[in-house]
Amino acid sequence: MNDKTRNRGVEATRREFLKATTVLAGTALAGLPGTAMAGKKHPKRGGTLRFGTRDDSVALDTHRNIIYFVSHPLTGITGGLVDFDDKMQPKPAVAESWDSSSDLMTWTFKLRRGAEYHNGQTIDAESVKWNVERIKDPKTSHAFTRSVLSDVERVTVDDKQTVRFHLKEPHAALDINLVYYPVNLMAPGAVDTADTHPVNCGPFKFKSWRRFDVCELVRFENFWETDSEGNSLPYLDGLVGRPKKEDRVRLTGLRTGELDLIDNVAYADAPAFKKDHGRTFDTWPVPQVGTAMMYFNLKNGLLSEKDNPDAHLLRQAIAHAIDHEGIHQAVFNGLGEISRGFYSSASPWHSKDIESWPKFDPDKAKALRKKAKGGDEKFSIIANDSFPYMQQSGELVHAMLKDAGFNAVLEILPGPVMLEKQGKGDYHIDSTANSYRLDPDGWFSRNILSTAPENRRRNGYKNEKADQIILAARKERDPAKRRLMYADVETLVNRDLPILYTHFVPLMMASNRARVKGYNVSYSGPWSYTGAGMRRTWIDG
Amino acid sequence: MLAYTLRRIAQLVPVLLLLSVAVFGFVEALPGSIVDTLVGTEGGDIEEARKILEKEYGLDQPVYVRYAKWLYRAVQFDFGKSLVTRRPISFELLSRIPATVYLAVVGISLSMLIAIPLGTFAAVRRNSGVDYTAQVSSLAGISIPEFWFAILCVLLFSLYLGWLPSSGYVSPFEDFWGSLQFLILPAAAIGFRQAAFTTRLTRSSMLDELSKEYVDTARSMGLPERRVIFRYTLRNAMIPTITISGLQLANLLGGTVVLESIFAWPGIGRAIFEAILQRDYPLIQAGVLVLGCIVVVMNLLVDLTYRLLNPRVKFA
Repeated sequence: MNDKTRNRGVEATRREFLKATTVLAGTALAGLPGTAMAGKKHPKRGGTLRFGTRDDSVALDTHRNIIYFVSHPLTGITGGLVDFDDKMQPKPAVAESWDSSSDLMTWTFKLRRGAEYHNGQTIDAESVKWNVERIKDPKTSHAFTRSVLSDVERVTVDDKQTVRFHLKEPHAALDINLVYYPVNLMAPGAVDTADTHPVNCGPFKFKSWRRFDVCELVRFENFWETDSEGNSLPYLDGLVGRPKKEDRVRLTGLRTGELDLIDNVAYADAPAFKKDHGRTFDTWPVPQVGTAMMYFNLKNGLLSEKDNPDAHLLRQAIAHAIDHEGIHQAVFNGLGEISRGFYSSASPWHSKDIESWPKFDPDKAKALRKKAKGGDEKFSIIANDSFPYMQQSGELVHAMLKDAGFNAVLEILPGPVMLEKQGKGDYHIDSTANSYRLDPDGWFSRNILSTAPENRRRNGYKNEKADQIILAARKERDPAKRRLMYADVETLVNRDLPILYTHFVPLMMASNRARVKGYNVSYSGPWSYTGAGMRRTWIDG
Repeated sequence: MLAYTLRRIAQLVPVLLLLSVAVFGFVEALPGSIVDTLVGTEGGDIEEARKILEKEYGLDQPVYVRYAKWLYRAVQFDFGKSLVTRRPISFELLSRIPATVYLAVVGISLSMLIAIPLGTFAAVRRNSGVDYTAQVSSLAGISIPEFWFAILCVLLFSLYLGWLPSSGYVSPFEDFWGSLQFLILPAAAIGFRQAAFTTRLTRSSMLDELSKEYVDTARSMGLPERRVIFRYTLRNAMIPTITISGLQLANLLGGTVVLESIFAWPGIGRAIFEAILQRDYPLIQAGVLVLGCIVVVMNLLVDLTYRLLNPRVKFA
């Protein structure tokens, strides 16, 4: 569609209208999302979107707490230096342009003129520096947030619009780490109200929040982004987040018209919902919220080479006992993909050059288990109770291991207990998942590299070749070369089995087709995208 | 009665003190630490961050010191701040208690409005159609899980008929009529279930009272049946009903986590449940203490109600 056609909007002829409605009907009958049609309608300002979510923020300070982009309405207030598009490429946000030095030790960001915080304070280089320093301070930030800036030694201000990041080590992917989650910008002048009334710089301003009840946001009228016609974004006047923990409660809320958009349609409900209600509701499959896996404890115990010379044999036996297709069908109801590496086919970092993990072979699993020292001893599997797919994967793996003759026990535990057990090495297998690794360095440097604090705390994996590749990949500018390097690491991981990838975690969102227009999801949900998500959504009617 | 009331209030002090010790001990015994959750797991400065947080929250001090400090502040109604949201505990609790009280009071009132007439008529018209209806419906109410009945209500009244919202909460102080729409389904789910118990109790109490000699005496003296039933028998039969309803109300004020999840009702039950999962110690301690107070006060009110129902009841 060209601009001329788009601009005509409601002035379209009767013939065009009939043609369009026929297309819409065909699309609806086919059970496909109505995105094509949504694109043909002219966006309009106004309206409040009611967003039903499975989760809610734990608190309001966006530096001190992890803001879960998929399922926290509060995300709407956050903004940062860099965005990314639906191809996961970094795009300008508060920073209009950026560049790195030839040795990748310094990154310089030019800030957008006129960009403001919600309280009207200008986003200048000093305020960006203040934010980075606050995020790097253990007194005021979360370790996960800090960890993406661990390579940043200091930040300097060249002038009002120019901020410079000086690194400890060369880093080819600092820009993607600065995507506004988790390095979001908060107004320095409003830091005292960060816990009660946060003032950030995202497309929506904070209005009110009652945990697990409501999160009200209103349009930020001076948000920096505009559409192709120069209209300021977002289109919505406001957004009301309605956290409803139970998946079917949200689905019912959508069907009764109390909600416009929901996240996390239960895997068990998704195919039937799409089939039965595809004419009324759009469904939005999000390709990869995270990657599910089985973490093996290599720090100590039966699966660790330190305590058991046959540990690798046992891990192989476990891998042969696990039926990935079974997990795909039983846990994820056939949605999404089985994973052989960290990145799904929706990611630019996906690679086909990965040697897979040991294939499902129960007989081989039994033989290896009998052969290996410790094969008859008790194995503990732990899973976090907050995420159904982690529990269910844990339950299924438990059953599969029992079938292969392992003496396995399963414990479903709350988060704090999981952390304690992981830290002490009081487990053998952890049914878990990981997400928010937009650039592969975020995954490999923080979870596979032997010196990474998280690896040392939880897993204890060490492969010198893998370490060398990971460190070299950080300095490599060419994405194609980096992808191949990371594929080599994945192959090593699938051979050594410190972890066993199981599945990419899909997410199905759904919206009221009659009301919600212009919405489109990207890599991990509704928020972070130039040209998609909440910023381009409008309400019809 | 005043002396009795004061004595009972004085008895609350050791009860609440014991409760506070129990809550503190329980929270201490919970495996896992909030500091681990708040600090996170990634980054090379976790130990430093942990020490900073432990110091900030006073968690580096011995448990008895923390308990003493907490108790000192608690008697001044200062429960400190939530370790998670960093907002005052009083705010966290007060923003939840009205929703809980609203739902519990309406739910229990509804149950009594159903149960007392039904139980009374079932007893008076024993082995009649009314009696069988009461028995069957109360058996159904006891047998059907509350959450299942709630889901059926949502399906029927929200999804198929479209009469009521399926979930959510509006404060009656913001929009009274709007709030009623959100209240009806959860209150009905509670009311139906509680009414089942109360109907059976009222019926058996009434049958018990009706078999007593004073009822025969009243009837033989020619008193109208209506007066015999409502003036004399029902008042005596109400004592166990009031006792149980009071306990039911106290239980509901403690929160109904499942119903709060189904109806996305922002009650105190779910707040405390989440606090336990996150190890938000001050919120758990304050929440349980407040709930303990509510139960104790409810018991006191129930005891005082006996006297109103039956002036022969003496307070020892």
